[in-house]
Amino acid sequence: MQHYDLMVVGGGPGGYVAAIRAAQLGFKTALVEKQHLGGVCLNWGCIPTKALLRGADIAQTIKEAEHFGFAIDNLSFDINKLVQHSRSVASKLSGGVAYLMKKNNIKVIDGTATVADKCRLDVSYDGSVTQYRADHIILATGGRARNLPNIKIDGDLVWGAREAMTPSRLPGSLLVIGGGAIGVEFASLYNDLGCDVTLVEAAERIVPAEDAEISQLAEKSFKQRGINVLTNTLVDEVEGAGEQSLASIAGPDGKQQQKFDQVILAVGIRGNIEGLGLENLGVTTENSFIVADPFGKTNLAGLYAIGDVAGAPWLAHKASHEAVICVENIAGVQGVKPLDKRRVPGCTYCRPQIASIGLTEAQAKAAGHSTNTGRFNIGANGKALAINEAEGLVKTVFDSNTGELLGAHMIGPEVTEQIQGFGIAQQLEATEQELSHTIFAHPTVSESMHESVLDSIGLSLHQ
Amino acid sequence: MSNEIKSIQMPKWGMEMSEGEINAWHVEIGAQINAEDDLVDVETSKIINTVTAAHSGVLRAIVAQPGETHDVGALLGVLASAETSEAEIQAFIDSHKTASADAVAPEPVAAEPVAAPVAAPAPQASNNAALAEGGDDSHIAASPVARRLAADYGVNLNNITGTGRHGRISKADLETAVTAAGGQLIGTNSATPAGPTQHADDSQVKATPVARRMAQELGINLHECRVSGERGRVCKADVEAAAALKNKLPAQSVAVSAAPSSSEAQVISGMRKTIAGRLQSSKQTAPHYRVQIDAELDHLLATRKQINDANSETKISVNDFIIKACASALIRVPAVNVQFDGEQVSYFNNADISVAVAIKDGLITPIISGANNKGLESISHEMRDLSTRAKLNRLKPEEFQGGSFCISNLGMYGIKQFDAIINPPQGAILAVGAGEQRAVVKNGQLAVATVVSLTLSSDHRIIDGAVAAEFMAVLKGFLEQPATMLV
Repeated sequence: MQHYDLMVVGGGPGGYVAAIRAAQLGFKTALVEKQHLGGVCLNWGCIPTKALLRGADIAQTIKEAEHFGFAIDNLSFDINKLVQHSRSVASKLSGGVAYLMKKNNIKVIDGTATVADKCRLDVSYDGSVTQYRADHIILATGGRARNLPNIKIDGDLVWGAREAMTPSRLPGSLLVIGGGAIGVEFASLYNDLGCDVTLVEAAERIVPAEDAEISQLAEKSFKQRGINVLTNTLVDEVEGAGEQSLASIAGPDGKQQQKFDQVILAVGIRGNIEGLGLENLGVTTENSFIVADPFGKTNLAGLYAIGDVAGAPWLAHKASHEAVICVENIAGVQGVKPLDKRRVPGCTYCRPQIASIGLTEAQAKAAGHSTNTGRFNIGANGKALAINEAEGLVKTVFDSNTGELLGAHMIGPEVTEQIQGFGIAQQLEATEQELSHTIFAHPTVSESMHESVLDSIGLSLHQ
Repeated sequence: MSNEIKSIQMPKWGMEMSEGEINAWHVEIGAQINAEDDLVDVETSKIINTVTAAHSGVLRAIVAQPGETHDVGALLGVLASAETSEAEIQAFIDSHKTASADAVAPEPVAAEPVAAPVAAPAPQASNNAALAEGGDDSHIAASPVARRLAADYGVNLNNITGTGRHGRISKADLETAVTAAGGQLIGTNSATPAGPTQHADDSQVKATPVARRMAQELGINLHECRVSGERGRVCKADVEAAAALKNKLPAQSVAVSAAPSSSEAQVISGMRKTIAGRLQSSKQTAPHYRVQIDAELDHLLATRKQINDANSETKISVNDFIIKACASALIRVPAVNVQFDGEQVSYFNNADISVAVAIKDGLITPIISGANNKGLESISHEMRDLSTRAKLNRLKPEEFQGGSFCISNLGMYGIKQFDAIINPPQGAILAVGAGEQRAVVKNGQLAVATVVSLTLSSDHRIIDGAVAAEFMAVLKGFLEQPATMLV
């Protein structure tokens, strides 16, 4: 039986980072991957969707071209080329991960892993099973789209994210079920590409994890663009109706049936815990996720879980961070701190973009903070006006006593590239004083961050 | 001026260490060192370890070069203030050589003036006592820096008037109060430039990360810098100004070309040298003899399964049982639980069991100390952590030095039985083979049992044959009836 000091199951941004860190620390390391190195993030998630959204940006730019004096005739669009671009980016990055594995002397084992016993992995590939022994096993098997009891992703009537990012044709009308980050990204993408989009969310607002004001602005912007946004609404059923799907939609105004060319289901993530042998070994799971302590330790000796399979937030950067602290903790590295979930930024790549970190204003108040809140309307930002994307808000929430930056919430152009500024501020425990004394370059959209901070202490200059 | 010169010496990590090989210096000559900073990697017995600074100061000389081997106590380098002259440093190095040659090494301290100003201002200055009184101040509004400084000064925030927004106490408020009470400020540059604070520990001086790193590179003590940054922090400009005053240029990075390998032969590592030296001496000086016994493991395996099945969080190995059984047997037969230095036998109250772990370039023996007082579960967890860190070279010296008994287990390789060389100054070592099904005769009948062969190597100078035999019999009893360890 082959023996490794540490084995990782899953080659996504949690798993491959865990393997690299382990190899760096001197562990004899192997990584088991059943399909593609890079996981959902590189192959079917973050990266390929961003490649598609670039297409949506271009569509938007073309729409605005006339405003800037350009007349474009004979415009045509081939969605297959856009999908091709997205796929080629994904495969390039997956190749990059393979290189990193090789460079770090990590043995990559193709196959599907099952935890056979404490410190034992069985890997099946092509019908044959190989047994491995490892002192430490890290499960980073990720997650996948959750189904609804009555509506299941079948790849035909109902698409999941994977089908939604590899369409062979552009649907005329589209129903997106679920107004979380993934749902609004697809709603925004397909709307920009010219589809008639209906977005349904069960909660009272879309992007319900964000600050309420951000949700309101997103909804307003979506409606202005012609997206039919239905909140407090459920889709009870989707059935085939010829070439189309017939959806039963129940909202505050009663029930209605409507036909769509395509349905996308994006109602959350569940953990990939099946087939890992967890039941037999009594590994504690909860609602499809593996229960782990702040350093990823499960209740089974030598077994750890990180990333999506260990629970929310389902974000690649959270998985990678958990990977590092899990491995370093095993290795006895001094000063390893558990993940602080309030310092995990979240980014949604709809138009306008949404980015946030920390507590919403409501969460801060509920946690007993006395708050100073700053707001700046991106409509008053020079750079945003210049690029004709002057829509959005930067909201900052400070503890009025300590000056601690409790949370920052942004909607607007390229805010996903800017949220790190607030992340650094939080990590360095900067107060509104340091932030207000920081010079932000002009003209940039990020000046809105500065103005928001100034507003929190009543010193706003430009509004 | 107080030019205190401090030596960096070869440490003595544990009884066995007599010399160490310089592996690599972490710092260059001219670097500003703070206490606890990593200085130099020394390869000693078994692993590479890092010597940390006991004092702060500028590294003025490196006496011991990488690749050289030096005795414990030998001078490796010199810490002093930047102002100390080269002649003084050289004199110090020479005097140290003489001193160590005389085998008396009181640390020479150059001209400590009696009436010199206090090197680092004591934060709790004379009249701060009044400011220290008061109840819980955690509800008082204060900036994070002010709160941390208040703790450093021993000041209760109830006694400070805040001038910030909503009466928030700023660092300035705190410092005003401390100064008003006749106290001295931490980390401020008093009117004595390049004064006695030169080589003082500046880790408490508030500085931006950039400033701190730059100061370290330029050998500038943060105490020497003016404080102009936000909230009383030394900033980059302050360090640059201080550097300009001292006319210090940024350190040039020097490309060091790797020495070409001119030899086919490989010099053995420090660890290999240690293994070679210790085991050769053990084999030559300790008259080894062996006693061997077989133990049936079927009960132990059943018990192990029972425990592991009942508790998902533990994975107790056969080896964990053997550690526990040895610990129990050593308490029962204390004559085996010994160290011997050739003249004196030390009897141990607890069983500190060294367990041989194979690592990349050799082997190391992390210790389960007081194994007799530990349960199987904690032995198991500890052993897992120790062997993980052993393979990563992350053991602390105290985790592998010492021990009153040693276990070497090659069962995982399918070795049926072997004998081991005693790990001095211990008196005995147990060699454990693979547990395997064998034909045994029970009550005149042929039967199958899982059997392990155990071989004890003992030093006959201190452990006689009957004692070793008694130990093995007791050990066999514990392994065959593990429940008896509970008694």
